[in-house]
Amino acid sequence: MTDIDDDALRAEVRNWLAANWSPDIDRARFAQAVFEAGWTAPSWETGCYGRGLADRQSRLVAAEFAAAGAPGTGHDRADLFACTIHDCGSEEQKRRLLPPALRGESKWCLLYSEPGAGSDLAGLRTRAERDGDDWIINGQKVWTSFATTADYGMLVARTDPDVPKHNGITFFMLPMRQPGVEIRPIHQITGESEFNEVFLTDARVPDANRIGEPGAGWSVLQVALGYERRLMGDVARTTRGRREKSGDLVELARDAGCLGDSHIRQQIARAHALSTVNRWNTQRAKASTDRAEAATLLALGKIAMSRILHETARVATEVVGAEAMLAGPENPVGDAVTFRALNAYFTSIGGGTDQIQRNIIGERVLGLPKEPDPYRDAPFRDLPH
Amino acid sequence: MAVPGPEELRALRGAVAELMAKADGDCWDDLAAMGLLGLLVPEEYGGAGAGPVEVGVVAEELGRVLFAGPYLSTAVLAVNLLAALGDSAECDAVLPAIAAGTKRVAVAFAEGHSTRPPAEPATSARGDGAPLVTGAKRFVLDADSADLLYVLAAADTGPGVFAVDPAGPGVTVEPVTTVDASRRLCAVRFTDAPATAVGTPGRGVEVVTMALDRSAVALLGEQAGAARRAMEMARDYAKTRYQFGRAIGSFQAVKHMCADMLLEAESTVSAARHVAAAAADGSVGWLADLALAQAYCSDAFVFVGATNIQVHGGIGFTWEHPAHRYLRRARGDAHLFGSPSWHRERYLHEIGA
Repeated sequence: MTDIDDDALRAEVRNWLAANWSPDIDRARFAQAVFEAGWTAPSWETGCYGRGLADRQSRLVAAEFAAAGAPGTGHDRADLFACTIHDCGSEEQKRRLLPPALRGESKWCLLYSEPGAGSDLAGLRTRAERDGDDWIINGQKVWTSFATTADYGMLVARTDPDVPKHNGITFFMLPMRQPGVEIRPIHQITGESEFNEVFLTDARVPDANRIGEPGAGWSVLQVALGYERRLMGDVARTTRGRREKSGDLVELARDAGCLGDSHIRQQIARAHALSTVNRWNTQRAKASTDRAEAATLLALGKIAMSRILHETARVATEVVGAEAMLAGPENPVGDAVTFRALNAYFTSIGGGTDQIQRNIIGERVLGLPKEPDPYRDAPFRDLPH
Repeated sequence: MAVPGPEELRALRGAVAELMAKADGDCWDDLAAMGLLGLLVPEEYGGAGAGPVEVGVVAEELGRVLFAGPYLSTAVLAVNLLAALGDSAECDAVLPAIAAGTKRVAVAFAEGHSTRPPAEPATSARGDGAPLVTGAKRFVLDADSADLLYVLAAADTGPGVFAVDPAGPGVTVEPVTTVDASRRLCAVRFTDAPATAVGTPGRGVEVVTMALDRSAVALLGEQAGAARRAMEMARDYAKTRYQFGRAIGSFQAVKHMCADMLLEAESTVSAARHVAAAAADGSVGWLADLALAQAYCSDAFVFVGATNIQVHGGIGFTWEHPAHRYLRRARGDAHLFGSPSWHRERYLHEIGA
């Protein structure tokens, strides 16, 4: 790891940006310059397009880029495609796939969940069968964001149904722009469509795009999920301020004329307490020098956030009263409350349900025993479904 | 006041935990010898001159074991009251004795149905040179073991704080039966009890409120430490209690209760430590944070105490098992310095809602 103090690093980034960045510069040229300077993934090794900085210092670089309004850095955190290849890919894959990814030319999406494999992701049934230098993919994936714009799908597929479910999975970077990939938007309960279903019918992926050994896909997936969780934490932290402001129950109650109602007041204070205490948990996690303590608090953050969103929406519903029956742009107050109530499930189901998260907290943080799994050692093809 | 580093706090926590592990009774002399009774007492009065962060750490460890001695009343509330009163003669007379463990002090302020200081006390102090106090105080923490009482009473100059000898004429101290046997509360009646005015006349309500707020940091610490301990009891039992051929903690119904307890216990710890640090910094808006934390930690500790009993099942319903003692402490703590709903209203007031 390169030894450079924070002030010197900040100065170096600022000088570099001053010399290389202007808002009207050609984006592709600037992306190439960022890439060559090692700023796209500053925490990676110098031999692998990085600068060998600490993760914390990589965030300093990102802050300087953000302050200047310059794009192009942060691939070592926000680019799950590049991070997974960096950690688990072969040398050939790194040389071939990373440079375009780091220049921002490779868009990606996640092909993990299936209609029959949600909480139990290892039960996935999408098949990958070897055909010469390719694998042929058949199956269905679901809850994929950005499927229509992606160049690659980060795919987990079953390559061996004759071994226990975790051992027969392989990880691929699937080219998305091909006839065997069909994308249909999901109409969500909020009326939005952020997610898609992806149907894979004789889709092809070259063996050269297999990440890790055949059958080792579950461990590659854990690496990718680790980056995703970390990214979700970053995103949650950066958007919290906005969310709290837009969700201010006090203003909502003032507008609805019920801020003097002691029942409503108590509920508002309770909802505020949930989000404030969660902020104190996050601050404590960040300040802690004890890794276990920080990990405990971060694991609790998801169920805390779910409760904040559901509770705040519930109180908001009570505040607006009968307006909550009404929808559409002509009824903005009721419409917004309903949106919040329904969108809260985005957090309590998405990224693993709160119930799975409680299992994780119980088992990994508290050390409680796992639920016995009678099919743990059974071949995948013998599992009931 | 020097800001304590993590190493110092760890050492302090370890020392208190070690004492509590071998302690029998209120171990008052040990607490004095270790400098814990004088933790908040300024150095010029024989104390350590420490602040809310250190007291919060000590309180967490005392809370863990439901420590029954008069620490909160004497070493925290009385010392904070003297600091708020700013009466140097009284400080000279009392603070060194508190630090040395030779004087126990209780503060009598609540009347009627509230545990908060009344805006206009019905208890009165009459006469200028040698005032006499008359009235009734309730929920007085540790008054039965106190050598000295500070009483909030109305005088011609407005509400003030008066020192009264509990063994003197005109004072009856009657312990009341509490739901939490580890917390001693008393009803104290005064009938023309001889008293001495302490501090600036007319500022009594303000000063007692300020002292209570500073002391609430310790109550939060006790709640956090006890909530964590109750969570650990449930966790450990869920690992070792077998039914249907498996540890009950492997059942999701039990596991999820434990996960929820962990969230509440850790949130209580975060809240207690945040408020302690904010008190030490004199942060803007700390009263809003304090009020929110007092409401939250009270409810959270009650939840953890109650859920611990449910996780334990039948054994948790027995008097011999310690689980109920944590719920009793939680239920008492939730009202000791004001109810959760009172604190929620105070929070809203503080944020201008």
